[in-house]
Formats: sequence, structure tokens, C-alpha cells
Amino acid sequence: MNQGTRTKSTKTALILAGVVAGMVGLSFASVPLYDLFCRVTGYGGTPRTGPVAEMPEASDHTIAVRFDANVNSALPWQFRPVQREVRVRAGEEHLVHYEVVNVSDEPLVGTAVYSVTPFMSAPYFNKIQCFCFVEQRLEPGESMSMPVVFFVDPEIANDRDAREVTQITLSYTFHPAKQERRIGTGRTTEPISVAATAAGRDENQTTSN
Amino acid sequence: MVTKRIIIGTLIGAVVAGLAAAGTAVAGEPQPWQMNLMPAQSPVMERVHEFHNLLLVIQVGIVLLVLGLLGYIIFRFNAKRNPVPSRTSHNTLLEVIWTAVPVVILVIIAIPGLRLLYFHDRAHEYDFTVKVTGHQWYWSYTYPDHGDFTFTSIMVPDDELQEGQPRLLAVDNPVVVPVGTNVQILVVSDDVIHAWAVPSLGVKVDATPGRVNERWLHVHEEGTYYGMCSELCGINHAFMPIQLEAVSPEAFEAWVEETREEWASRQNAPGVRVAAGDGGADVR
Amino acid sequence: MAYGVAAGHDEHAHHPTGWRRWVNSTNHKDIGTMYIVLALIAALIGGIMSWMIRGELAQPGVTFIDNYQFYNVLVTAHGFIMVFFVVMPALIGGFGNWFVPLMIGAPDMAFPRMNNISLWLTTAGFVLLLIAAFVGAGPGTGWTVYPPLSSATFHPDAAVDFAILSLHVAGAGSILGAINFITTILNMRAPGMTLHRMPLFVWSILVTAFLLLLALPVLAGGLTMLLTDRNFGTTFFEVAGGGDPVLWQHLFWFFGHPEVYIIVLPAFGIISQIVSTFSRKPVFGYLGMAYAMVAIGFVGFIVWAHHMYTTGLGVDTRAYFTLATLIIAVPTGIKIFSWLATMWGGSIELKAPMLYAIGFIFLFVVGGVTGVALANAGIDFAMHDTYYVVAHFHYVMAIAAIFAMFGGYLYWIGKMSGKQYNEPLAKAQFWVFFVGVNVLFFPQHFLGLAGMPRRIPDYPDAFVGWNMVSSVGALITMIGTLMFFYLIWHTFRYGKTAEANPWGEGATTLEWTVPSPAPFHTHEQLPVIGPTGQPRAGSGAVSPAE
Repeated sequence: MNQGTRTKSTKTALILAGVVAGMVGLSFASVPLYDLFCRVTGYGGTPRTGPVAEMPEASDHTIAVRFDANVNSALPWQFRPVQREVRVRAGEEHLVHYEVVNVSDEPLVGTAVYSVTPFMSAPYFNKIQCFCFVEQRLEPGESMSMPVVFFVDPEIANDRDAREVTQITLSYTFHPAKQERRIGTGRTTEPISVAATAAGRDENQTTSN
Repeated sequence: MVTKRIIIGTLIGAVVAGLAAAGTAVAGEPQPWQMNLMPAQSPVMERVHEFHNLLLVIQVGIVLLVLGLLGYIIFRFNAKRNPVPSRTSHNTLLEVIWTAVPVVILVIIAIPGLRLLYFHDRAHEYDFTVKVTGHQWYWSYTYPDHGDFTFTSIMVPDDELQEGQPRLLAVDNPVVVPVGTNVQILVVSDDVIHAWAVPSLGVKVDATPGRVNERWLHVHEEGTYYGMCSELCGINHAFMPIQLEAVSPEAFEAWVEETREEWASRQNAPGVRVAAGDGGADVR
Repeated sequence: MAYGVAAGHDEHAHHPTGWRRWVNSTNHKDIGTMYIVLALIAALIGGIMSWMIRGELAQPGVTFIDNYQFYNVLVTAHGFIMVFFVVMPALIGGFGNWFVPLMIGAPDMAFPRMNNISLWLTTAGFVLLLIAAFVGAGPGTGWTVYPPLSSATFHPDAAVDFAILSLHVAGAGSILGAINFITTILNMRAPGMTLHRMPLFVWSILVTAFLLLLALPVLAGGLTMLLTDRNFGTTFFEVAGGGDPVLWQHLFWFFGHPEVYIIVLPAFGIISQIVSTFSRKPVFGYLGMAYAMVAIGFVGFIVWAHHMYTTGLGVDTRAYFTLATLIIAVPTGIKIFSWLATMWGGSIELKAPMLYAIGFIFLFVVGGVTGVALANAGIDFAMHDTYYVVAHFHYVMAIAAIFAMFGGYLYWIGKMSGKQYNEPLAKAQFWVFFVGVNVLFFPQHFLGLAGMPRRIPDYPDAFVGWNMVSSVGALITMIGTLMFFYLIWHTFRYGKTAEANPWGEGATTLEWTVPSPAPFHTHEQLPVIGPTGQPRAGSGAVSPAE
């Protein structure tokens, strides 16, 4: 290889190495980007969260909102929605409660994740306040009532697909808390207000399994 | 364990006996030497059949065309018959045609294909909900609208199979739905990714931790419909089948009553462990 | 020596001998040979695994594997080995290293030492993967390594960590190889060898190298996240910590789908050379063929989620991926028809490599049309994760790539070894193998349509018929494979001395202008390429015999 070709080749190789480094960078950037994308578009059933600047006008579009609860089997808790279904007018704010009981004889910490189905309705489902992504510690036998405040955006009536939706399901799952948090995530943790009652409850109709 | 089996056996017996009388109990079961899709038993699957028939014609047509051309070329242009090769290496018209014609064929495929996709995914008025939870290695079913009872559905091991129960497909407690109703299926997972599938009803949906997937189920006829877990989920992946019984609304009500009582009295102990099929040692 | 061996590598102007020649090799031909040997060893191991799988599935119940974790490890290792350590080393590392420099008139690769590193990294990756299978319970995750199954909770042994490291190391080797190929092809072509005069095999390697360059780093990133999730408490894919296992699937398939083309594009290149040679005609629609590969490579990056239709994607997302995926049928159609048109009007000699090329076209079309069905999200869920998919991808990439490997081997073995293979033996081998793979994989379409899931060690009794047929096919394929290994031995033991160009006027590319076997150093005097893509008379295409 003569000198000219060699210099040229080294340059090419360096550029290509830059491309490789860029792609590695992109793969890591995809973590927060994916998260952001999900929250903006409702992708994968990610509803909108957090306080809104201005509540939209309530409309006549009514939708049934159903509540679903799951507990990971590694966590001996019972968890259920207090009401199974509410019919709401789009644009109207609603407060509902979930109830969770630690049925074990040791204090345990859990975190909840949520999703909304059908996915096309997720961008119109706004949770103003909820208990997700905050570690909850329950003493043995302790039960806790967990509020969720939400509204359905009236814009849903203008969405080609989502306007046919008559029923939205909000689903929560409690997992045993992981100590380490994901690096680089943009998830917001939300303020919660918890009405805790110490009374142990023996509830066997919950969906824990 | 033995008493449990007896109770469950009686329960299934009641449901299955009714079904057998209807004479459609095997509609949803794969048959020996079967070559095509399962017979359609739901609106979605009927359309899948229609679309697949169209695809099959196009697929066979293309393969035969290429095979025919290959055969003709080998016959006509072999070195003996055609010792002097032509030097043609361009023909713009020909190249445009074989770019454009596939595009047309793809459009012919894409239009019904997308229509089917959107039909499958359209939102529906549901009559009630069944929640399906995938576990290593069994399914559990929850009926939130019928008293919120949950039961587990575990494969019948080979040595406990009853007469008429297909191996690796039959379960102790089948999931039951009434015919002619719109059922919302919510699919979640308790551990790894599983997939809940009933081929003859046109349902296959992943059970992924952290999200709930929704499907619409509508069964036309009474019968037993089988499926298998369709995402690799560990050692006993092959041994967590789905058995779905479609029954009359009256039979469904009776089943709900019975099952609710049966399972309400039982501790829903977290982590029901599977008595796995043969070879499935070391349950994590 | 106006344009000799790379300056600074003059110590290699003489033959190194003994083990040093191989272990420290910076010679593209020796490295290519070692890649092919690696691929042959890996193919034997991966093949034995597949025959064990088919043996277990020959009848329902426990045939001979009663440890289902072991079965899952077999399935996983078979996939990894065949993709990363058979097809890629053979087609890219082996034939690419051997013939890219020869075809473009370069004396060697741009970075001969980096070439050596690539080879040994790939080999180290292979060893790590074999170790993984023996650590604890082994990695039983499938080659897709989906979390949470691959997480520390459900695979607590270090087996998955070894598998991840294996892919990291092999991936690094492939990335370095890709940089080397791109640099060589862009900068070291002989005078007159413009991009549009390059043989299609070189084009295919160029496109493949770019795919490697863009796809593998994403796999590396995802694998790193998986590794830290498993070992250092991060929760990229762990729901309890706010992660999402579906993100892994996006990352994996963003790599995984281009990977399919990484496997099949070099096969396209080889088939183009063979078809043109044995039809004694130039490739029909050369530019269309070259840019169809570029188009396939590009579209390959925007279709990944068609592997994930059942995970719960929005309906509009699935509609987009359906349409994008269907588009791939257009450039692949162009390739199929251009091969047919190349043969049309030709003077076809049905030598064994040509049989493999024709077999490739048939297999690729069969696998292609089932791909059109799977592309449709509306019907995919009926076939997703069933044997229909297994049949599809074995036809379209696995067996097709093996056909290109066998075809390429027979086509070039004279050039590589100086000995020509035995034609009747090779033809017999082709027919056994061709019948074998079709009996093996065609019935799997039926099984898949009837709903038999993938990756299961036992199946309901209704599936027994076609499974038995499929296993008989595996047996025939095994005989065909053994015949191939016998053919290799036969060639080296009894093969006739190969001429510089055993194929006659149809073989127009530069490698046929050098003696057989190709001398240690070639193109020391640069050939000058004329408008037809062939060297001008009197230009030094042939290096002086040493």
C-alpha cells in the first residue's frame, strides 16, 4: 500500500469507527428516547401523567373506565381496585381508589407500574395523581388506600381510531421494590397522598395470585 | 392433591359431558396430517382464512412461475442446445415490468391485509372481561365481572389423562366463555414473557410483564378449543397449554357459580407451583 | 514493486512457516482459509445440535432428551452458532477475505493486522459460546435472549453472561472486519475498477459491511444493558425498576433484522457470480442488481418490529411495519428475475456450483413468499412463533445461505486449493442435500399452520406425522452433509490440479486471471481494468510466481 492510499485508508477507518461509536451511543440514547416517545405518544399503553396546566372543557363523550390490579407473586400483598368501573364524561376529573394489604408477617416494600389499554386511548388518558413508581412500605397486616386522579381528554372524540373506544382499562401491577433505579430514565415520580389505615384486612376476593 | 384432582375432574366432567353431547368437542384440536390453518371458529379467524386463501394462491402462483421459468431455461438454454450465449444484459422495459408487477401484487395483498389488521384491532363493546395471567408454567384466569374469582389452569400430566383428553393440550381447569358474546381478554404476565394463543379462534397475544395486552374474543360455536404457550418461557414452555370451553350462556352461569364457590374457599396462595409434566424438574 | 505488499509489512513478503504462518497471519488468503475452517468446525457442532433437536422431535414424548433446559440450550446454541459462527465466518470472513481483494485487484486487505484480530476475536467468541453451554444450566433463552427469561432471576447461572460476552467479542471482531472491508473496497481498487465495474460479490460484501457497521453496535449496546441488568442492578429491561422488556426486543430486532440480510446478501453476491459464470453471460441488469442490494440493506433497518407483532404494538405501528416489510419484496423480486434473465439466452452448464445456485433461487423464492404472508400483521399472529416461521427463515436465510456456501466452495475451491472437486460426486451430494432440506423443512409449514409452537421438546400427538417426515428429512440432510465433508477430503486427496480458470469464458472476474492455487501474494503489479470490467491486455493481473 503506498503512502497516499494508507493515509486515505486510515481516514476512512477513523470515520467508520466514529460511525460505530455513534451507533453505540444511539443504542443507549434509545433508552430515554423510547421512554419519552412512549409518554408522548401513549405507545405501549403509557398514559399521560402529572399535573396539567389547564383542564379541558368537559364534553358529552362518555367512556367506561375500568380498573385492574395485579401483584407479582414474589410479593405477598393483596391489591384491588375499590371500584371496578366508572363511567366518565371526557374532560371530567375523577378520583378513584385502590386498596393494598400486606398479608405477610414482615414489612415489605413494593412499587407499582401501570399501563392503559387499548393503546390507542393511552394518549388521551391523563393521570393527574397516582401512586406509581414510588416505593410503598407496608408493615405486616397493614392496608393502604391509594388514590388515582384522572381524566379522559375530550380530544379522544376526534381521533380516527380511539373515538370508537367505549371502554378503557387502567391496570396496575405491584412488584417487590428494586433497590437500584434505572439509569438515564426520564420517568417522573409523582407526589402522592396516602391514607393509611393500620387495620389488617382479610380480603380473599382480590386479584392477587 | 388427589382430592383436588377429583374435584377438578368432576368439574371438567360436567362441562365436557355437555359439550360432547353437542358433538363439536374436537373442532378446536389439531388433527393428524393437518396441512392448513385450524378451522375458523371466530369472526377474526374466518377473515384470516379468507386472507390466507388469497395469499396461498399468490404464493403458489409465484413459486410455480419461477419454477416453470427455471425449468424452461434449463431445458432451452443449456450448453448443448444453445452453444452460443447471447450478450443481452439490459432491457429497460423488462426491468420496469418486473419492478412494477410485484408492486401491484403487493398492493393486492396489502389492502385486504391492512383491512384484516384493523378489523382485528377495532374497539368493541364488551360483555365482560377475562384476565389471563401467564406464570412459569401455567395460566391463571380471573373473572373480574363475575365476583372477581381467580383459578389456575394446569396441564394434565400424561399419567392422569382421562379418555378423550389430548396429551399436552388438556388442562385441569379450562377457561370457559359463553358462545356469542364479546369477551375482552386482558393478558398479563407474572414472571417472564409468555404468549396466550388459541389458533382456531385467531388469538395470539404476548403476556409481557409491565403491560396489559387486550384482545377481543368471540366464539361462534360450543366446543373445546386448544392452544399452547407461544413464547419461549423456560424449561416447561411446552407444558402450559390453553384449553378453552365455549358453552351456552346458561351453562356458563352455572359454571361461574360453581367455580366461584370452589375457588373462593381456596387460599390464593402466591406462587402456585406446578406439578410439571414429565421431565420438568427444577421448578424455579 | 510499485504497488506491492503494504509498506511496513515487508516482513511478510517472504512466507512465514509453521504455526506462525497461521496464528500470526496477516495474509487475506490464509485468514480466509482459517475462517472457512472455523465455519466448518462450527457447522459440524451446530449441525449435530440440529440433528439432536430433530431426533428428539422425531416422535412425541421423551425420545432421548429428558432435560428440557438442555433442549432449550440446544435450540439457543444452534441458532447462535449457525448465525454467528458458521454463515458469517464462511461467507464474509472466508469468501469475503479470499476474493474481495482478488476481485478488485488489491494486494491484500487495507489493515492486514486488524484482519488477524477479527479472526481471533471471532474464534474467541465461538469458544466462549461453547463454554456458556457448559456453565450451570446453560443459556436456554433462544438466540433472541428476551428478558425477563434471560435476567438474573430466571437464568441465575453465568451461562447467559458467557453467551453475552461471546456475542460481544464476536461482534467486535465483525465490526473490525466490516471497517476493513469498507476501507479496502473504497480505497484499494485497481485503476479502472470503478464502483460500477465491481463484481456483484464485492458489492454484496460492501453493503453487508455497512449493515454490520450500523447494526452490531446496537446489539452491543443492548447486550451491555442486559449484562448490567444481570450483574450490576440496573433496570433497563426490568419492570420493577421502571424498565421495559419490550425495549430489548426493539434493540435486538433493530440489529436482528439487518442481521438476516448480513447473512443473505453475501449469498446473493456468490449466486450472481455463479449464475453469470455458468450461463456464460454477463449479469443481467447489473446496476439494478447492485442497487437492489443497497435498497434491501436500507429497508432492512426500518422493518424490525415485524418480529414483534404480538407483543402489543399499536395498530398504526403494525400497519406501518406491514407496508415497509412488504416493500422488501420489490428489490428481492428484481434479484430473482435478474438471475432468471441472466440465465435466459445463456449457454448453461449445469456444473455442481450452478445446481446450488439454481437450488438457492428455488429455496429463496419459497422462503420469500412465506415471508410475504408473515409480513402482514393481520395474519402474522396465526403463524407467529410456530413452525411456519421456522420453515420460513430456514428456507430464506439458513438453507439458502448454506446453498451459497456450498456453491461458493465448489466454485472457488480450485482457486483456493489448486485442486478441483469431483464433479459426479458433487452433483450426487447436491441432490441428496437438496431433497433432504426440502423434506426437512417443507412439512414444517403444515405444522406451523396447524399451530405447533417453536422451541418445544414435545408436542401433541396430532403433530406426529409431519414431524416424523421432517426428521427423516433431517436424516437425509445429515447424509448430504457427511457427503460434503467427504467431498472436501476427496478433493484434497484425489482432486485433479485446477487450471487458472476451470470455468471457461463465463468466468470473467479477476480471481480467474491469477494461477490456481492463488499465490501467497497477488496483484503485486496492478491490473488496469477496462470498461468491460476485465483487465486490459498486458496489465499485470498475474503476479509473478514465486
